[in-house]
Amino acid sequence: MIPRHFQITVALVLLAILVSGMVIIRITHKEEAMTLRGADTAPVVPVVGGKQEHIQVLVAYDDDQALRWRPADVFLPAERGMRARETLRCVMAQYLQSPSPHPLAKGADIKDVYFINDDTMIVDTTAQFADGHPSGILLEEMTLASLIETLAANVPGITKVKFLVDGKERETLAGHADLMSFYQTAAVHEMAKEFE
Amino acid sequence: MRWSKQRLGKAGLAVAVVALCCALGISADTAEHQLTVYTAQSSYSLPVLDRGGKAYLNVADLLSPLGASQPHVKGKEWRLELNKAELRLTEGKEKAVIRGHQADLGGKVLVEDGRVLVPMDAALSLLSQLLKTAVDYHQPARRIFVGNVFTRFHAELKNGDQPSLVLTFSQPIKRLDANHEEDRGVLFTHTDRTTLTFSQDPLVSDVNKQQFGEGAIQSLTFSEENGAASITVTGNSKLQVIRSEDGKTISLQPQAPVAVATPEPTQQTAPSVEEGQRHTQEFFVMIDPSHGGYDKGAIFGGKLAEKEITLRLARELRKELEERGIAARLLRDSDIDLALERRAEITNEQHAGIYVALHAGRPGRGVRVYSSLLSDPQQPLAGRFLPWDSAQSGALNRSQAAAHAVAGELRKKGLTVASLGMPVRPLNNIVAPAIAVELAPEGDDPQSMESQKRHNTVASAIASGIAQVRGQMGVRP
Repeated sequence: MIPRHFQITVALVLLAILVSGMVIIRITHKEEAMTLRGADTAPVVPVVGGKQEHIQVLVAYDDDQALRWRPADVFLPAERGMRARETLRCVMAQYLQSPSPHPLAKGADIKDVYFINDDTMIVDTTAQFADGHPSGILLEEMTLASLIETLAANVPGITKVKFLVDGKERETLAGHADLMSFYQTAAVHEMAKEFE
Repeated sequence: MRWSKQRLGKAGLAVAVVALCCALGISADTAEHQLTVYTAQSSYSLPVLDRGGKAYLNVADLLSPLGASQPHVKGKEWRLELNKAELRLTEGKEKAVIRGHQADLGGKVLVEDGRVLVPMDAALSLLSQLLKTAVDYHQPARRIFVGNVFTRFHAELKNGDQPSLVLTFSQPIKRLDANHEEDRGVLFTHTDRTTLTFSQDPLVSDVNKQQFGEGAIQSLTFSEENGAASITVTGNSKLQVIRSEDGKTISLQPQAPVAVATPEPTQQTAPSVEEGQRHTQEFFVMIDPSHGGYDKGAIFGGKLAEKEITLRLARELRKELEERGIAARLLRDSDIDLALERRAEITNEQHAGIYVALHAGRPGRGVRVYSSLLSDPQQPLAGRFLPWDSAQSGALNRSQAAAHAVAGELRKKGLTVASLGMPVRPLNNIVAPAIAVELAPEGDDPQSMESQKRHNTVASAIASGIAQVRGQMGVRP
C-alpha cells in the first residue's frame, strides 16, 4: 500500500508541473503577441525620395486648445498622391514625438492616399490611428483639422477629403468626430480659424 | 479515514481541472444579456437584469422608445401612458392594470433607484395590450416582434468562376456586423466560419441549416441568441462580405486580393419635413447622454467613464427643464448601447423640439458648446425627403441660436465657455435644432467631473438657455 502522504505529494508535484506548463505557454503567447504588435507599429509604406522642401504644418496644441502653423523640412516627391501622403505623415510625426503637443497612439500613420478625382481625396489611416486616439470632441476635431488644413496648404486643388481606417469606413474617429462624411477643405478652414 | 486510490485520483483530477482553468484565465462569458424589440418604426435593445435568478426589465427602457411617458409615482403605484392607454404598476404586486384590466406579470414589480422593473416575460402582455396589436415573442432568444415586421431571406449558391452565396432579404438590412473565425482543430484541414450578426433587423427563418456541398462555401446556419439573429456560413476559405447599396442583398465570396474600392456615400434619408409637420406635438427636449454600454467614451482618472458623467448630467438637465415647465426625454436612462444613427432616428421619429447631446472630454477647462458644421449641405430632393448627411441644414440657424443662448447662460454662471461649429456625430442627421455640450475637467482634476455642484450649475445654465430660445425652436423655416 502506498502511504497517503506520498500519494498527496506526488499529486501536488504533478499539479505544479501542469500549472507551470500552462503559465509558460501563456507567457510565450503573450510574447508572440507583443512581438507582432511591435511589428505593426513599423512604417507601413516605404520611405520615398524627393526634393527637400520647407513647408508649413498646422499643429494641434492640447494644453492651449490651439492650432498653430509651424515650419517643417520634409522630402516631398513631385507626384501629387505621394506628396499628399508625405505631407500628412509629416503632421503625424509631430504628434508621435516625445514630448508631444497632441499625443497619438504608437503606430498611428497614413497607410495610403487615393484621388477619386482631381479635387477629392481619400486618406487611409492605420487602425492604431483611430483605435488609440484619445476620445473627446475637441481632441478628435483638432486632429482632423490639422491634417486637412496642412494638406490643403501644401497640395493645391484638394477640396474634399474623406478618412478611412485600415481600408474601411468608420463612423467616428474615437466616438465623436464624423468620419462618414467628406470634409470640405473650405469649411475646415473656417473651423480651424476658431482654434487660432 | 484513508483515501482509496480511485478517490484520490478523482480528487486530484478535480484540483487539476480547477488549477488548469485558473492558469488559462478561463472565465465564463459575462456578455450583457439583452432583449431586442422590433417594431415597424424602429428596433431597440435593452438590458436584461438578474434579480434573484429571474430576468427583469426596466419598464422605461421597454416603453420609452415607443413614445411612452416617463413613469410617475403616486404612493406605491407607478403610472405611465402609451398610445393614450394607461399602465399601472404597484411595487411588490404581481399584477398590472393595463387599460383598466388586470394582467398577470408572472412576478413581483420591483422599484430600484426610481426605476420600475418587471419580469422579462411580462413584456409580451404589456406590449400586446398597450399597443393592441399582435406581438410575437421568441423567448429563448429574447426577441420581440411587434406587428408583422419580420424580415425573411433566401440563400442561393451561384457556381461560376468563383462560387458566391447570395442572401436576398425581404427588407433592407439596417445594421450588419461580420466576424470571421478559423478553426484549425483538424490536422491538414481547417474550417472557416463567417458569422453575420443582425442586431437591429427582425430577421427570422423557417430553415435553420442549409448544406451546399464541399468547397469554399459548404453550409449556412441560422440562429437567434441574446436579442440578435446570426447567419453563419462555413467553408474552407475566408469569405468577403459585400452588401448591396439598397441593403437587400448580401453576397459572400472567397476573398481575393482586390484594389481598394472607392467608397460610395451611403444613401439614407431622414424623415420628410412634411411628415414632421403632420405630427404636431408638444415641444420637448431630447437629451442624449452620449455613449453607454460597451462604449464608455473618454476615461477620467483611470476609472470614471464619460458615459456615467453624461447620464448623471442628463438626469440633472431633465430635472432643471421640468422645473421650468419644459418637457424632456432621455435617449437612454440606463447603461445601454445605442448606435449614433439610432439616436438620430429616434429623435427624428419622435419630432423633438431640440436635441441636446451631452459629452465630457479633455483638454482644457470649462464647457464647450457645439453646433453642426455642414461640409456639404444638400438640398432636399423634390421637397419630400432630407438627405441623411445634411438633415440638419434646415435647422442650422436655430441650432446656432440655441448654442449662442446656452453659451451665454453658461458664461453668466462664471464658467469658461467656447462656442464652436464642428462636425460632431450625429448632429448633421438631426432634423430639429441640435447642439452638443462638452464638459471639460477643471485643469487636471478628474474629480471636478463628478462634482454635483458643477453638474447643477451646467444643467441649470443649459435649461435657461433652452428656455430663452424655446419660442423659435419648434418653428420650421
